[in-house]
Amino acid sequence: MRENKTFRGVFLNGVLNENPTFRLVLGVCPTLASTTSATNSIGMGLAATFVLVGSNIVISMLRNLIPDKVRIPAYIVVISTFVTIVQMLIQAFVPSLYEALGLFIPLIVVNCIILARAEAFAGKSSVFLSAADGFGMGLGFTGALLLIGAVRELLGNGTLFGNNILGGGFEPMLLAVMAPGGFILFGLILGIVNAITDRISARKGAKA
Amino acid sequence: MRLSFKGGIHPLRERHEGKNASKGQPIRAYIPQSVCIPMDMHIGAPSAPVVAKGDRVKMGQVIATAVGGIGIPVHASVSGEVVAVSQKQLLGKNPSTCVEIRNDLQDEWTELTPLGEAETAPAERIIQAVRDAGICGMGGACFPTHAKMSLPEGKSVDTVILNGAECETFLTSDHRLMLEEPGRVVDGLRLIMRAMKVSRGFIAVEENKMDAVKAMQEAARGREGVSVVVLKTKYPQGGEKQLIEAVTGRQVPSGGLPMDAHVNVFNVGTAAAVADAVILGRPLVSRVTTVTGCVKEPANLLLRIGTPVQEAIDAAGGCSEEPGKVFLGGSMTGIAMPDTSMPMTKANNGIVVMGQKEAVVAPPTPCIRCARCLAACPIRLNPQRLKELCDQQDYAKAKKEHVMDCIVCGACSYVCPAKLELSPAFKEAKDKITARRI
Amino acid sequence: MNLRLSTGPHLLSRESTQTLMLDVLIALIPTTAAGIYLFGSRAAWVLAVAVISAVVFEWLWQKLTRQPVRVKDLSAVVTGLILGLNLPAQAPLWMPVIGSLIAIVLVKQLFGGIGHNFLNPALLARGILLASWPAHMSVYYLPTRVLGATSVAPAADMTSAATALLRPSGFAPYDLLMGNIPGTIGEVSKIAILIGLLYMLFVGTVTWHVPVVFAGTTVLLTWILGGDPLASLLSGGLLFGAVFMATDYVTNPMTKRGQVVFAAGCGLIVTVIRLYGSYPEGVTFAILLMNILTPLIDRLTVRRIYGMVKKHA
Repeated sequence: MRENKTFRGVFLNGVLNENPTFRLVLGVCPTLASTTSATNSIGMGLAATFVLVGSNIVISMLRNLIPDKVRIPAYIVVISTFVTIVQMLIQAFVPSLYEALGLFIPLIVVNCIILARAEAFAGKSSVFLSAADGFGMGLGFTGALLLIGAVRELLGNGTLFGNNILGGGFEPMLLAVMAPGGFILFGLILGIVNAITDRISARKGAKA
Repeated sequence: MRLSFKGGIHPLRERHEGKNASKGQPIRAYIPQSVCIPMDMHIGAPSAPVVAKGDRVKMGQVIATAVGGIGIPVHASVSGEVVAVSQKQLLGKNPSTCVEIRNDLQDEWTELTPLGEAETAPAERIIQAVRDAGICGMGGACFPTHAKMSLPEGKSVDTVILNGAECETFLTSDHRLMLEEPGRVVDGLRLIMRAMKVSRGFIAVEENKMDAVKAMQEAARGREGVSVVVLKTKYPQGGEKQLIEAVTGRQVPSGGLPMDAHVNVFNVGTAAAVADAVILGRPLVSRVTTVTGCVKEPANLLLRIGTPVQEAIDAAGGCSEEPGKVFLGGSMTGIAMPDTSMPMTKANNGIVVMGQKEAVVAPPTPCIRCARCLAACPIRLNPQRLKELCDQQDYAKAKKEHVMDCIVCGACSYVCPAKLELSPAFKEAKDKITARRI
Repeated sequence: MNLRLSTGPHLLSRESTQTLMLDVLIALIPTTAAGIYLFGSRAAWVLAVAVISAVVFEWLWQKLTRQPVRVKDLSAVVTGLILGLNLPAQAPLWMPVIGSLIAIVLVKQLFGGIGHNFLNPALLARGILLASWPAHMSVYYLPTRVLGATSVAPAADMTSAATALLRPSGFAPYDLLMGNIPGTIGEVSKIAILIGLLYMLFVGTVTWHVPVVFAGTTVLLTWILGGDPLASLLSGGLLFGAVFMATDYVTNPMTKRGQVVFAAGCGLIVTVIRLYGSYPEGVTFAILLMNILTPLIDRLTVRRIYGMVKKHA
């Protein structure tokens, strides 16, 4: 694959080609936990994006200073700093989100996406491109969470962002807001994404 | 409780295995206008012709000599004039050399040299006589009988079984032979036993032929070491591995031959031919073939080797409707012919004509894992699993899961509700594994 | 003369996937008839919607994915009917539709179509319906008519009760057998299920191994652990599951030995869930769990083939 060297290229790569949820299949645990409603999904997504951008920038700035043998603990220190910041911000300004996400906010520290991007990208690239990668991956993650969260909330509650959409006659499907339903839905969407990307690359291949 | 083997099926049970039309028909001879005798009817190198166009030959005269250790000579099945020695594309992969003789309808025998009676012929000369008579397995395999009777160093046999099971559908030639000429069959068995120095001989017959059982029991009375065994009617009881399992309780070791279980198996027709060779001095020039299916008068015909199939069909009254398929043998393992001008050979025990509708093959549908193929397999293989491997062309794994032990009996294909082509896939796998030495 | 050339066998068995499915449908007729008689026309509607939506979904899916349409093999009809028989008679009619969608598209077609599902489609659909709408699925309605000579009076329409399993001794064995008890449409009339089993055994659709070992293990274990063995046999979904769902070809092992292991495992899990678990009924989960183990069971129960003997000395 062509190495992306532009902000736009790296950014779009994170959102689409290497979408962390549907293409890299990273960070599935918080995905399943926080997509019980659309609001929670956006909350988690944006929190993770904040941490991702921040840690990517800082790690990229320090990439020549951190010795290779201790790079993982060093990355974790940086990441947990940002997570602590975002946790305090959420607790202060959006306490309902803080209640809803609970344990999963501090767990952003061990979200595979953040560590993986630090290792694979920020540790080797310029600050400018690392920021682009952070934004792209973070927004890709947020978009994916929003998609799953919206469907789960709609099926399992009949609401979207808390607003009743499907009316009183709708009987919510309890399984959708439980973990098994989340798994099944995740798998189905993954299948659809794969089918679409297969068809796109088949068409590209036919044109070539 | 009848003896039997594990697994197996009852093909065409709803129409009595297709045998009702011909099982009551006594054997009758048919004299052909001409014969076309291939040189490669047997397993082993094709024989070398020693006659040329224009030669006059007598019945039973050697027209081709044996080539190689297990080769056998070929004899003229009619007296007359050789009209051609040429290559013809028959059912094999490559064309076969054939000797065509126009029948002068005189049936003039060549000079015959009988060896003696069943109990008095010199035992040490029997195997040579069998070879000189050009006898090969007449149950379908056509392996040279003298080679089967000659055991290699270190192998021993204590039991001879005559295969009178005739488990294939449609075939009744062995049934009629046992019913009408049981003496010849028993004489042949005694000659084989004496030549191989074996003291125990069994004649195994399925219980759907109790009249033949009684005839054989009568003929076997007082004959040393010979007894008749009745088997449960099941396909493929006549497969030698299943026959040995049912009659003796022993199993042929995987990758081995019947002699590794100290048994040798011969078809009843082969035994009768052995008797003719030794007692009458006659080489193999004719055999009983069941002609049935969509023919006007199903029959068990005594045909001269090399009779064109179309002549045999006409001798059975001709087709009763437009034929859709004609196959040689029974419906389970028979070989379909592209045209009926080809000759029948030493090993053809049946000619079956199928109508247009019956000949249509249903397309395969997906496997539903019903496991009927596992229940049917007489070797207790897992055809469903083997088919998966063959579809993936994973022949190494297929060999590990014993596809080489498959006897290609077709029982799995028969029972499969999804009409999957199981046994053809295994035949192909076995051929590929042997060819590529996987 | 145009002669067809093909490899043998030249004549095949008259059985096909379609005839096998048809035999299952015939075996389901007594159960279906009993269910409709006991629970009224509402039950008929549930069954009809389940079957029709199953067939429609399969047809749509195969058409949209440009595969050969195989609804003629009747497997969708069987799945739909079994799903319907697993629902209470008063289930809202959108439930069988969603259930059929899950069974046909999610469980069967997405995994590769007929022969490739690794879980019983009707059963997983029922499980998902149970987890998603527990209120509708766990309420059992009393039959509005009664079968046979019984002293139980038919209930008024839509009178609900807890499953017979919770107080099995509260029902006479005769009523448990005939079906004058609360439950889903297909599971109540044990005599109808047994008639269906006898038919399938007679025509050879199934062998005795799975139903007998499954039910037998449950009864034996229940008796050993202090429960009422006869009631355990005749209440709940045990007989229906053992006869029609655990016997599904695709999801149970291929060898007889494997099937016995499978059935015994089902019996064990059912007993444990019933006696010690928090659900009153465990048949759905038992069969699904053993379905998951089927590939492993298959690998562990490979048969010894002919010829695996030492070369005779």
